[in-house]
Amino acid sequence: MNEHRRQILEMLAEGKINADEAERLIAATEEPASKTSDQRSRTRPKFLRVLVDAEEGSSGAYDGPTKVNVRVPMQLLRAGVRLAGLIPAQALNRANQAMQENGVPIDLTQIKPENLEELVEQLNDLTVDVDQKENGARVKVRVFCE
Amino acid sequence: MIPFVAVVSLRNQQSRTFRLWIPLFLIWLLLLPLAILLSPFIFIACLVCRVNPWRGVALLWQILTALADTNVEVEHGSAGMSFHIL
Repeated sequence: MNEHRRQILEMLAEGKINADEAERLIAATEEPASKTSDQRSRTRPKFLRVLVDAEEGSSGAYDGPTKVNVRVPMQLLRAGVRLAGLIPAQALNRANQAMQENGVPIDLTQIKPENLEELVEQLNDLTVDVDQKENGARVKVRVFCE
Repeated sequence: MIPFVAVVSLRNQQSRTFRLWIPLFLIWLLLLPLAILLSPFIFIACLVCRVNPWRGVALLWQILTALADTNVEVEHGSAGMSFHIL
Protein backbone atom coordinates (compact mmCIF):
# COMPACT_ATOMS: atom_id res chain seq x y z
CA MET A 1 0.00 0.00 0.00
CA ASN A 2 1.44 3.38 -0.92
CA GLU A 3 1.84 6.28 1.49
CA HIS A 4 -0.91 8.46 0.02
CA ARG A 5 -3.50 5.74 0.28
CA ARG A 6 -2.49 5.00 3.88
CA GLN A 7 -2.84 8.71 4.78
CA ILE A 8 -6.28 8.86 3.17
CA LEU A 9 -7.41 5.75 5.05
CA GLU A 10 -6.09 7.19 8.29
CA MET A 11 -8.03 10.40 7.67
CA LEU A 12 -11.11 8.30 6.98
CA ALA A 13 -10.57 6.30 10.21
CA GLU A 14 -10.14 9.52 12.18
CA GLY A 15 -13.41 10.80 10.73
CA LYS A 16 -11.76 13.81 9.04
CA ILE A 17 -13.22 12.79 5.67
CA ASN A 18 -16.17 10.64 4.65
CA ALA A 19 -16.12 7.53 2.44
CA ASP A 20 -16.99 9.45 -0.77
CA GLU A 21 -14.20 11.94 -0.23
CA ALA A 22 -11.77 9.11 0.49
CA GLU A 23 -12.76 7.37 -2.70
CA ARG A 24 -12.27 10.54 -4.73
CA LEU A 25 -8.87 11.15 -3.14
CA ILE A 26 -7.73 7.60 -3.81
CA ALA A 27 -8.87 7.89 -7.43
CA ALA A 28 -6.96 11.16 -7.74
CA THR A 29 -3.76 9.62 -6.41
CA GLU A 30 -4.08 6.66 -8.77
CA GLU A 31 -4.68 8.83 -11.86
CA PRO A 32 -1.06 9.90 -12.51
CA ALA A 33 0.09 6.28 -12.39
CA SER A 34 -2.44 5.21 -15.00
CA LYS A 35 -1.49 8.23 -17.13
CA THR A 36 2.20 7.29 -17.10
CA SER A 37 1.40 3.72 -18.10
CA ASP A 38 -0.68 5.11 -20.98
CA GLN A 39 2.23 7.30 -22.02
CA ARG A 40 4.58 4.32 -21.87
CA SER A 41 2.32 2.30 -24.13
CA ARG A 42 2.17 5.26 -26.54
CA THR A 43 5.94 5.72 -26.72
CA ARG A 44 6.51 3.19 -29.48
CA PRO A 45 4.33 4.11 -32.43
CA LYS A 46 4.40 1.67 -35.31
CA PHE A 47 3.79 3.90 -38.31
CA LEU A 48 4.63 7.30 -39.69
CA ARG A 49 1.56 8.69 -41.43
CA VAL A 50 1.48 11.41 -44.06
CA LEU A 51 -1.94 12.66 -45.10
CA VAL A 52 -2.45 15.22 -47.83
CA ASP A 53 -5.86 16.57 -48.73
CA ALA A 54 -5.83 19.09 -51.56
CA GLU A 55 -8.83 20.74 -53.13
CA GLU A 56 -8.30 22.10 -56.59
CA GLY A 57 -8.38 25.87 -57.01
CA SER A 58 -10.43 28.05 -59.28
CA SER A 59 -7.89 27.73 -62.10
CA GLY A 60 -8.20 24.68 -64.36
CA ALA A 61 -10.99 22.16 -64.76
CA TYR A 62 -12.15 20.74 -61.46
CA ASP A 63 -12.11 16.97 -61.37
CA GLY A 64 -12.18 16.38 -57.66
CA PRO A 65 -9.87 16.68 -54.71
CA THR A 66 -6.48 14.99 -54.45
CA LYS A 67 -5.84 12.81 -51.44
CA VAL A 68 -2.62 11.12 -50.46
CA ASN A 69 -2.37 8.69 -47.61
CA VAL A 70 1.04 7.20 -46.84
CA ARG A 71 1.77 4.80 -44.00
CA VAL A 72 5.41 3.88 -43.48
CA PRO A 73 6.47 1.46 -40.73
CA MET A 74 8.77 3.12 -38.19
CA GLN A 75 10.97 0.02 -38.39
CA LEU A 76 11.61 0.85 -42.05
CA LEU A 77 12.61 4.38 -41.12
CA ARG A 78 15.00 3.07 -38.48
CA ALA A 79 16.56 0.59 -40.91
CA GLY A 80 16.86 3.29 -43.56
CA VAL A 81 18.54 5.61 -41.11
CA ARG A 82 21.00 2.87 -40.14
CA LEU A 83 21.71 2.26 -43.81
CA ALA A 84 22.41 5.97 -44.24
CA GLY A 85 25.15 5.48 -41.66
CA LEU A 86 26.96 3.25 -44.16
CA ILE A 87 27.23 5.91 -46.84
CA PRO A 88 30.94 6.32 -47.67
CA ALA A 89 32.66 9.62 -46.92
CA GLN A 90 33.20 10.45 -50.60
CA ALA A 91 29.49 10.16 -51.31
CA LEU A 92 28.69 12.31 -48.26
CA ASN A 93 31.09 14.99 -49.47
CA ARG A 94 29.45 14.99 -52.89
CA ALA A 95 26.00 15.20 -51.30
CA ASN A 96 27.21 18.09 -49.09
CA GLN A 97 28.48 19.93 -52.15
CA ALA A 98 25.22 19.41 -54.04
CA MET A 99 23.17 20.53 -51.06
CA GLN A 100 25.26 23.66 -50.58
CA GLU A 101 24.86 24.50 -54.26
CA ASN A 102 21.10 24.27 -53.75
CA GLY A 103 21.15 26.49 -50.67
CA VAL A 104 20.96 23.81 -47.99
CA PRO A 105 24.09 24.26 -45.87
CA ILE A 106 23.96 20.99 -43.94
CA ASP A 107 27.13 19.05 -43.29
CA LEU A 108 26.06 15.40 -43.55
CA THR A 109 29.43 14.19 -42.29
CA GLN A 110 28.54 15.66 -38.89
CA ILE A 111 25.44 13.49 -38.59
CA LYS A 112 26.32 10.32 -36.74
CA PRO A 113 24.20 7.12 -36.81
CA GLU A 114 23.39 7.53 -33.10
CA ASN A 115 22.06 11.07 -33.79
CA LEU A 116 19.86 9.69 -36.54
CA GLU A 117 18.53 6.98 -34.23
CA GLU A 118 17.70 9.67 -31.71
CA LEU A 119 16.04 11.71 -34.43
CA VAL A 120 13.78 8.79 -35.35
CA GLU A 121 12.97 8.23 -31.66
CA GLN A 122 11.93 11.87 -31.35
CA LEU A 123 9.58 11.47 -34.31
CA ASN A 124 7.23 9.71 -31.87
CA ASP A 125 6.07 13.06 -30.57
CA LEU A 126 6.01 14.74 -33.95
CA THR A 127 2.83 16.12 -35.41
CA VAL A 128 2.91 18.53 -38.33
CA ASP A 129 -0.34 20.16 -39.41
CA VAL A 130 -0.36 22.48 -42.39
CA ASP A 131 -3.58 24.06 -43.54
CA GLN A 132 -3.03 26.49 -46.37
CA LYS A 133 -5.31 28.28 -48.77
CA GLU A 134 -3.74 29.62 -51.94
CA ASN A 135 -5.38 30.72 -55.20
CA GLY A 136 -8.67 29.31 -54.00
CA ALA A 137 -7.13 25.89 -53.38
CA ARG A 138 -7.07 24.51 -49.88
CA VAL A 139 -4.27 22.12 -48.96
CA LYS A 140 -4.09 20.20 -45.72
CA VAL A 141 -0.99 18.24 -44.82
CA ARG A 142 -0.73 16.16 -41.70
CA VAL A 143 2.33 14.21 -40.59
CA PHE A 144 2.16 12.18 -37.41
CA CYS A 145 3.07 8.86 -35.82
CA GLU A 146 0.59 6.27 -34.66
CA MET B 1 9.36 -11.77 -41.75
CA ILE B 2 9.90 -10.57 -45.31
CA PRO B 3 6.78 -9.49 -47.22
CA PHE B 4 5.32 -12.12 -49.51
CA VAL B 5 2.62 -10.25 -51.38
CA ALA B 6 2.05 -6.71 -52.63
CA VAL B 7 -1.35 -5.48 -53.70
CA VAL B 8 -1.65 -2.75 -56.31
CA SER B 9 -5.11 -1.34 -56.75
CA LEU B 10 -6.00 1.02 -59.59
CA ARG B 11 -9.29 2.86 -59.98
CA ASN B 12 -10.05 4.79 -63.15
CA GLN B 13 -12.37 7.76 -63.75
CA GLN B 14 -15.27 5.39 -64.39
CA SER B 15 -14.74 3.99 -60.88
CA ARG B 16 -13.63 0.65 -62.29
CA THR B 17 -11.15 -1.00 -59.96
CA PHE B 18 -8.31 -3.27 -61.00
CA ARG B 19 -6.60 -5.14 -58.22
CA LEU B 20 -3.27 -6.79 -58.86
CA TRP B 21 -1.73 -9.19 -56.37
CA ILE B 22 2.03 -9.37 -56.88
CA PRO B 23 3.62 -12.51 -55.39
CA LEU B 24 6.79 -11.00 -53.95
CA PHE B 25 8.02 -14.39 -52.77
CA LEU B 26 8.55 -15.33 -56.44
CA ILE B 27 10.61 -12.19 -56.94
CA TRP B 28 12.69 -13.05 -53.85
CA LEU B 29 13.19 -16.57 -55.19
CA LEU B 30 14.35 -15.17 -58.54
CA LEU B 31 16.61 -12.60 -56.92
CA LEU B 32 18.25 -15.06 -54.54
CA PRO B 33 20.45 -16.83 -57.16
CA LEU B 34 21.29 -13.45 -58.67
CA ALA B 35 22.33 -12.13 -55.26
CA ILE B 36 24.49 -15.21 -54.69
CA LEU B 37 26.13 -14.75 -58.12
CA LEU B 38 26.76 -11.07 -57.50
CA SER B 39 27.88 -11.46 -53.88
CA PRO B 40 31.66 -11.52 -54.66
CA PHE B 41 31.35 -8.27 -56.61
CA ILE B 42 29.22 -6.71 -53.88
CA PHE B 43 31.77 -7.85 -51.32
CA ILE B 44 34.63 -6.23 -53.29
CA ALA B 45 32.61 -3.04 -53.80
CA CYS B 46 31.97 -2.87 -50.04
CA LEU B 47 35.67 -3.28 -49.32
CA VAL B 48 36.57 -0.56 -51.83
CA CYS B 49 34.03 1.80 -50.24
CA ARG B 50 35.26 0.79 -46.75
CA VAL B 51 31.88 -0.51 -45.73
CA ASN B 52 31.48 -3.61 -43.61
CA PRO B 53 29.74 -6.01 -46.06
CA TRP B 54 28.09 -8.05 -43.26
CA ARG B 55 26.64 -4.92 -41.75
CA GLY B 56 25.39 -3.88 -45.17
CA VAL B 57 23.72 -7.25 -45.71
CA ALA B 58 22.18 -7.13 -42.23
CA LEU B 59 20.78 -3.66 -42.88
CA LEU B 60 19.37 -4.64 -46.24
CA TRP B 61 17.69 -7.59 -44.56
CA GLN B 62 16.26 -5.26 -41.91
CA ILE B 63 14.86 -3.00 -44.62
CA LEU B 64 13.36 -5.97 -46.42
CA THR B 65 11.64 -7.24 -43.29
CA ALA B 66 10.43 -3.77 -42.35
CA LEU B 67 8.70 -3.26 -45.69
CA ALA B 68 5.61 -5.17 -44.56
CA ASP B 69 2.55 -3.03 -43.83
CA THR B 70 3.75 -0.16 -46.00
CA ASN B 71 0.76 1.50 -47.55
CA VAL B 72 0.51 4.28 -50.14
CA GLU B 73 -2.80 5.60 -51.40
CA VAL B 74 -3.28 8.39 -53.91
CA GLU B 75 -6.67 9.60 -55.06
CA HIS B 76 -7.50 12.30 -57.54
CA GLY B 77 -11.15 12.88 -58.16
CA SER B 78 -12.75 9.52 -58.78
CA ALA B 79 -9.46 7.94 -59.92
CA GLY B 80 -6.89 6.57 -57.57
CA MET B 81 -4.28 3.99 -56.83
CA SER B 82 -3.07 2.21 -53.76
CA PHE B 83 -0.04 0.09 -53.04
CA HIS B 84 0.03 -2.18 -50.05
CA ILE B 85 2.81 -4.54 -49.04
CA LEU B 86 1.55 -7.46 -46.97
